[in-house]
This record gives sequence, C-alpha cells and structure tokens, in this order.
Amino acid sequence: IAGVLTWATLLKVSHGHCLLCFSCLVTLVFVSPLPQFIYIIPKPSSFRLRSLTSNHISNLSMDLRLPSKVLEHILSFVDSNEDRNSVSLVCKSWFETERRTRKRVFVRNCYAVTPEAVARRFPETRSLTLKGKPHFADYNLVPDGWGGYAWPWIEAMAAKCPSLEELRLKRMVVTDECLEKIAASFKDFKVLVLTSCEGFSTDGLAAIAVACRNLRELELRECIVEDIGGDWLSYFPETLTSLVSLDFSCLDSEVKLSDLERLLSRSPNLKSLKLNRAVSLDALGSLLRLAPQLVELGTGSFSDKLDQEAVAKLSQAFSELKELKSLSGLWDVLPEYIPLLYSVCPGLTSLNLSYATVQMSDLVELITGCSNLQKLWVMDLIEDKGLEVVASSCKELRELRVFPSGAEGLNDTNVAMTEQGLVSVSEGCPNLESVLYFCVQFTNAAMVTIARNRPNLTCFRLCVMEPFAPDHKTQQPLDEGFKAIVERCKDLQRLSVSGLLTDKAFEYIGTHGKKLRMLSIAFAGDSDLMLHHLLSGCESLNKLEIRDCPFGDTALLENAAKLETMRSLWMSSCCVSFGACKLLSPKMPKLNVEVIDEHPLETRPDSSPVERIYIYRTLAGPRLDMPEFVWTIQKNPEIGVSHLAIK
Amino acid sequence: MENSNSYSPYSSSSVDSTKPSPSESSVNLSLSLTFPSTSSQRETSQDWPPIKPRLRDTLKSLRLRQRGYNTALFVKVYMEGVPIGRKLDLSTFSGYKSLLENLSHMFDTSVICGTRDSKNHVLTYQDKDGDWMMVGDIPWDMFLETVRRLKITRPERC
Repeated sequence: IAGVLTWATLLKVSHGHCLLCFSCLVTLVFVSPLPQFIYIIPKPSSFRLRSLTSNHISNLSMDLRLPSKVLEHILSFVDSNEDRNSVSLVCKSWFETERRTRKRVFVRNCYAVTPEAVARRFPETRSLTLKGKPHFADYNLVPDGWGGYAWPWIEAMAAKCPSLEELRLKRMVVTDECLEKIAASFKDFKVLVLTSCEGFSTDGLAAIAVACRNLRELELRECIVEDIGGDWLSYFPETLTSLVSLDFSCLDSEVKLSDLERLLSRSPNLKSLKLNRAVSLDALGSLLRLAPQLVELGTGSFSDKLDQEAVAKLSQAFSELKELKSLSGLWDVLPEYIPLLYSVCPGLTSLNLSYATVQMSDLVELITGCSNLQKLWVMDLIEDKGLEVVASSCKELRELRVFPSGAEGLNDTNVAMTEQGLVSVSEGCPNLESVLYFCVQFTNAAMVTIARNRPNLTCFRLCVMEPFAPDHKTQQPLDEGFKAIVERCKDLQRLSVSGLLTDKAFEYIGTHGKKLRMLSIAFAGDSDLMLHHLLSGCESLNKLEIRDCPFGDTALLENAAKLETMRSLWMSSCCVSFGACKLLSPKMPKLNVEVIDEHPLETRPDSSPVERIYIYRTLAGPRLDMPEFVWTIQKNPEIGVSHLAIK
Repeated sequence: MENSNSYSPYSSSSVDSTKPSPSESSVNLSLSLTFPSTSSQRETSQDWPPIKPRLRDTLKSLRLRQRGYNTALFVKVYMEGVPIGRKLDLSTFSGYKSLLENLSHMFDTSVICGTRDSKNHVLTYQDKDGDWMMVGDIPWDMFLETVRRLKITRPERC
C-alpha cells in the first residue's frame, strides 16, 4: 500500500522509537505485522532522523520491502553521517544500501577503527577525513614518534576505494611515499588538505603536482614540511587549469615567481591563494593582478621597502580585489603599508592578523573599516582600546581570537590588554559565539559580565597565562566567573579553563555544562573531586584534555564507564599512578589505555605517577604501531597486574 | 622529576604567594608539575602558553628583533674536512635538540653536543669573542645571542 501522507507517526519497537522523515517526494507507507511507519514530507531543506539504539537491530525481524533503488534515491538526500549511521542500523539491507552509497567518511580518531574496515565498508567513498594525534600535540605535549601514520589508510583506500577524490588529514604523519601513493592510485584526485601534519618534503608535493591532473585544492595548513627546494611548484603541468585553492603558507623556501605567475594565469577558477612568507611584497602586486577574482588571500611578507610607484601599483591591485572576503599572512607588516589594505576592508568577513606584529594605533583605522567582519584573529598588541574599536565597528563579529605577543616569557608581556577588552567585545558584538583569549590575568566580574552579555557563546577558551593566577582584583579563585559562563551559556560546547580554580569550579561545570563536548584544563583543581565532577556531570563530554592537575586515580577508576562514551581523554603531568593504569585496562576492553612515558616502567612502583596517559575508545583493539615509549597492558604484558589497593 | 628547572612557572617571581596551598590528599605539586621531560632543561618552554609552533617561532623572532637582532639568524656551518659549508637559520629552531636533529639530517651523520671522543661528530661554535666553544653549555636564548658560526668536528682527533 502506498500513498502520500502528511503527518508523522512514531515507529515503536521494543526498546525505543524512530521517526523517519524525508525531504523528497517519495513517500511510502507499508504495513507489516508490527510495526508500521509513515514517511512525511517536510520542507525540502531540513531533515531529521532520530536514531535507533543498537538494541533494535536484533529485534527487528521484519523485512522492509523497500526496493533498494528507491532507498538509494532517498539516501541521496541524506547528507549527515549521523543520520546515515541511524539508517544503517535499521536492517541488513538498509545497511548494505547505505554503505554502498556513502560518499563522505569522517574518522575522528584514526585508531578508533582499522583502515581496512573503513575501506571495505564504504567502497564508493569520494572523501575521507582523518584525525590522528590528540589535540595537545599542537603544543608539543606528545613526543615525536607517538603515531598517527597516514600510510595504512592510504594503502587501504588505494586498494579498495579507487574513486577517492578528497583527503583531509589533521595531525598525522604523512610521508613522501604517502603522497606518491596518492598520486599514483586515485585517478580523479581533487582535494588534498593537510592540517598540522608532518613527515613529508617538497618532493612529495611535486609528486602530487605532476600527477593529479584535475587537482582542485592543495592546502598545507601549519604543516611541518622538509624544504628541499626543488621547484615543486613547477611540476604542475601546463594542462592543469582546475585549481581552486592553493595554500603553501607553511613552507619556508622560495618558489619561483615565474612558476607561480604562470600557474595563476591558467587558473581562472582560483578562489583561494595563501602564499608563504618568502613571497615578497613586490611579487604580490603582480600576482594579484593575475588573480583579481580571489576570495581568500594570504599574503607573503609585508615588509620590503618599495618605491612610490610600486606602492601605488600595489594599492591599485588591492582595490581590484572586488570579491575578497578573507585576508591573512601579513608577516612583519610595516605600519606604513597598512593603508594598502583599506580598500578591501569593507568586504572582509575574515581577517587573520596573528602574524602581524603591529601596534594598536596602526590597527585602529584598519579595523574601523571592517564593518562586515565575522572572524578576527589578532595579537594582544591590539590592546583594550583596539578591542573597543572592534566592539563598535565589527557588529557582525562571530569569532574572536587574541594571541599573546609576549609568549616567550611572562615578563615580556607589557601590553595594555586586560579582561576589559573582551568585555567590550562581548557588549558590542551581539553575534559573538566563539572566543579564544590569551590574557595575563582575569577577573570573575569580567566573566560574569561576559556571560550576561553573551549567553549565545558556544566556544569559550580563556587562557590565563600565569598559572594559578587568581582574580587580580579580589584575589579569589576564578570559580565564580566560570560558573557564570557555564550557567548562562546553555549552548556552550567547548570550554578551556585556566587561572586559579578549586574543585568548586568543576562542580559548577559538571552541574551546568550539559552540552559541553570538549574541555581543556591546565594547572587547576585541588583533588580527585574535580575529575569526578566532570566525568559524572558533563553528559555530552566527548573530549577531555588535562595537564598539570593534581589527580586522579580514584576519579578515573570510579568513572571508567564514562570513558567509553567519550572519544578520548588526555592527562599529562597529573597524578595518575602506574597502578591505576594497570587496573583500568582490563576493566575496559573497548578502550585503548596508553601510557606515554619516556622512562622505563618495568621497575616502577605502582604508586609512581606516569608522565602521560591517553585513553580513547576503539573498535580496532590495541594498535600495532606503538613506539617504545608507549605502554599498554597488551603490548607490555610483563608489566603484570597491579597490586595497588585503591582507597 | 626534579624541579630545579628555572623555566618552571612556579619559580617565577610573578606567581601570587597568596594562592592556597595544595590540599593534603594531593601529591606535592612541586614534584609533579614540571615541564615535560622531553624538553631539556636548557631549552625555553615549548608547551606553555598553549600556542602553535609557527606562532611561537614568530614571537621568538619578534623578541630577537626587539633586542636588536635580525629576525633571521643565519650562521655558517662547516663539517671538519669538508670545504663547502652550509648556511642555517638558527631562529627556526626551538632548542639544541632540534638543531642537532637538523644538522644530523643535513650532514647525514649523527651530531651530538658534548665532549669529543673517537666516535662522534661533536658540535662546536665560535662566539662573539672569537673563541671556539662546546655547544650546549648555556641556555638556548643566550646561545642565539652569542653564536657566530658552527663547526662539526670529526671524530678521533683531539
């Protein structure tokens, strides 16, 4: 029986219910002994699938007689992988249809699942996104050689998924062999985005350039690349005209200007170009003239001395960039060149000044012109006064990041930026939802004000750079300030805390931070209670990373079950004992418990603290590529069972 | 893990002395809360505050510039017995460890700091007084201010 219906009903099965609605015109109703369900047609844009719990699949004995071609058609409207995961749980034939039609795969921890399993399950995938090392690797907290190798993934995809077109890797080790394999294996490869990756050289880039005839995007974001030189850029064939995005801002060595100019001349679709520091200001002018259609521009060094004529030409080139929305680079920018940018400011939605070491007075006029700015990254050289200008000029601002200019030593920070700057922005910018703020000290009152002004915050990362710094006006811990943040900002998903904090702060976070998914903590808390509050209170907690906090065997062992609901937990320089690690592993088979410690463990007493512990859930079991300094109970069974008695 | 590291924030004079002392149930903070042992005591802190390596390098250059030095710090590097030298920008390294790693790779042999012996290539430098010194004795920042050229000695000579 088929028909078009316009209301929804709930599918009731033994343990829950499922609401299915589709945004296409295919609607079917079919009746089977138990139960029945009806597809509704909402408006074409949105589409929600509530998931069945995994208990259902064994209880569903009915056969959903939906022709697979029809299901395929319906699934072509299903974009979200979360929804696709639900679809795949309904029954075996839906699982099969879904897996054959999934085009984009996201693996947010490369060790959570094996490459072979992914490649086998999704043979038609066009796009793979992988993340490797834990987030704290960005700050040198993960020793070299820990892992995160891209090779097994590329090998597996090359064998089973030849239609792969896009690869996006973050915090992984990518070798030249990997890049050569990509170039050789995927005939229609289009997109390579490497973020915070390392292990490859410019030779690998040449391999990609020469072989990928339909390359659209090549982006190296903050990678560590061995610069052998060798003109990798010249390997792009003359026939390559499909380039849309090129980012080599992290490379150190020079590229030949003529190669770059020729590339730009034959890339009419180029929308995003991010140059490296070695590209001079002089060269920038001629490049911009070749690509006036750019939407995103990352300049090179902005500090050469130019003569009058060159400056005028450059100014003209900038004013021709009618489509420009995003500007970055600006290394070493000299104050006298900032006016060159004024013509593009009104169109900018994103401005990254985090490498522009200019003083506040030079920035003010620039910022005033950026009335449409949504994202601003800047150094604390902007000072409170500059942030006031942001607050009054950038009414569309959504994301603010302020980086420390004096990071090389606390005593170097003599900049007039305080908590007041952030308060001003929170007052003036109604759409502000994401904040990363480095500041020497902070106050509770400021946080309370910020929370009151901006309950719409979804990301609040405050880094008080002086560890254990209390409220500098009242000398109290910053507990009350963070309490206000988690209480008021009901949609807060990401939080980083710092400064002097007692267990109370974490009690508040546990009580109110119900939507918190990622939490970062450094130099905080008094005892195990802190960890206990977080693990037992934060229902949505997905990633927790902690450094230099004084706990926590007891909390860890008591809340072990919670760890299976999270993607990962990182603890370094805390007081997790060796004995507790040994106890934790056998308890939780679906977790990998890695002790990362560069001192030998065999002779350690159970009570001695380990340097780092990284726990993540996995379907793949213990990984096979662990270096010497990573210890797990499976790899190192000689460690034996703990005799530690937990009180 | 010792806490004699002068780069630890706990010995910084700006730490507020009115902070509450750790509760009895926790381990003595001064024992466990040092910078990770992967960085040698001589290198500046590489993990606090939490900023990414590229920004850290940029700030280092900025600091050097503020002290009156060029942003880039190119020095000549010779391997004893090899007439053609190399040039290296020291400002791109975070400390002795990364310098040695890079030199070992550049010259395709293992290069170490420390006393000369019959087995290893040892790194030495010429300071601003013109004297040849052993690399690794002074803090990295101080080294950057005084180094003029580098020489990798061959093993077995005295």
